[in-house]
Amino acid sequence: MPQKIEILRVIINQVLENNSKEKISSLQSSTNLRDEIGLDSFDLAELTIRIEMKFGIDVFESGIVLTVGEILNKLDNGNG
Amino acid sequence: MDKNKIFLFDPLKQREYSYESFFDRLNNVESLPLFIYTDDIFEIFVLITASVLYKKNIVLLDNDFKESELGQLGLNDDSLLKRETVVFNKRVDENNFIDSVQESKDWRITLYTSGTTGQPKKITHSLKSISRMVKISDKKKNDVWGFAYNPTHIAGLQVFFQALFNLDTIINLFGPSSGEILSLIDEYNITNISATPTFYRMLVPGNRKFNSIKRITSGGENFNLALFQRMSEIFPNARILNVYASTEAGSLFASDCDTFSIKEEDAENVKIVEGELLIHKSMLGISDSFELEGDWYKTNDMVELLPDRNLQFKFVGRKNEMINVGGYKVNPGEVEEIINNHPGVIVSRVYGRKNSVLGNVLIADVTVGNQGVIEKDLKRYLQEYLQPFKVPRIINLVDAIEVTRTGKLKRV
Repeated sequence: MPQKIEILRVIINQVLENNSKEKISSLQSSTNLRDEIGLDSFDLAELTIRIEMKFGIDVFESGIVLTVGEILNKLDNGNG
Repeated sequence: MDKNKIFLFDPLKQREYSYESFFDRLNNVESLPLFIYTDDIFEIFVLITASVLYKKNIVLLDNDFKESELGQLGLNDDSLLKRETVVFNKRVDENNFIDSVQESKDWRITLYTSGTTGQPKKITHSLKSISRMVKISDKKKNDVWGFAYNPTHIAGLQVFFQALFNLDTIINLFGPSSGEILSLIDEYNITNISATPTFYRMLVPGNRKFNSIKRITSGGENFNLALFQRMSEIFPNARILNVYASTEAGSLFASDCDTFSIKEEDAENVKIVEGELLIHKSMLGISDSFELEGDWYKTNDMVELLPDRNLQFKFVGRKNEMINVGGYKVNPGEVEEIINNHPGVIVSRVYGRKNSVLGNVLIADVTVGNQGVIEKDLKRYLQEYLQPFKVPRIINLVDAIEVTRTGKLKRV
């Protein structure tokens, strides 16, 4: 199974492409979702739902998430 | 009348019933139930008609009501089995039928709204209120009705009485697939169909045209110009009529496309407050569950009065269906209308999914006619016509979209 960060990159690119934004080629834990990738609140909402559809976890449920690493943490914790 | 004239064809049972057999059943009724609770459409029609003739009030129940729903209505198996003996002092036939029916001024029928907002609401109508829009004329004696509503709901009842009072043939189209429906239109030369916009959208005729249809009536949901044009192509000889009706009030307004006119005589009984259509209680059936504000019933329908035109309005959407997306109110019907305009789309449903960022995120389920349409294309298309917050963030291509017991889009 591909690493979670790679799955996340595919999902983020889907959101970007659907909304006519430039796709990204690489993703680091430290990458900031808003400032570096350029996701607005509607994009973030779509992202959370797509992540939820894939992993069954609402990564924004317990508060604001700023970076890729924070999403990955929630996914790891959520999976126990 | 031809003795063998068909009263009803039921494709689910593959059975034709003649008017002779219908009258025969009516003349041989010995007892009537207090509740109609069956999936047999012939039986439903016989029992409704018999209850009118025998002047016995009757209650219509959806056949798919679950035990728990019946329980909520205070009903159990015993009450459903109750019957009352009736004695009939004359025989009905094609000549005295209409007069006999119209004698039953005190007859009442009770039905339940589909209960999309919680518990089904009980509404009682008289023959007069249920048949307000029925027209009887020699010209209508040869109409063949495509029956496309649930027979236990108000729209179905209205179509039934329109057909029955002219002794017309009824072909049941509530249930069969698009392909079967189109074949039945040809086979029986159906002349009239009354259905929801969703029903019409789900018809996929290819390039076929249906010349026998002379009247298309639409109601229950928003009807728009694009659907009007599509219907005009499929049914080139049809006059297309859009009706505003509700379980609470019966049929109230009609329009040629999407603009409703309020008749002069009804003007005092209709008003629009903050975009919502209000109807005076004198126009309503009888119910304990109406929530009146003074003498006015709030329809929950948002409408738009047309400027510079007296007493004309357009239907905008349902008040309780508005979806709050990040503080913006979105009318799912408006978004569906744009999606449905895409040439590859058959029908769509837009709904909100709870989301911790925006409150709700818009999702669309879409059925498409060919395989060429993908989510990205649809989004691009929608972005051209809609403000960004109204564009569904996730578009699911699905095989089928559920409809309600009434034949409307099922709201999630």
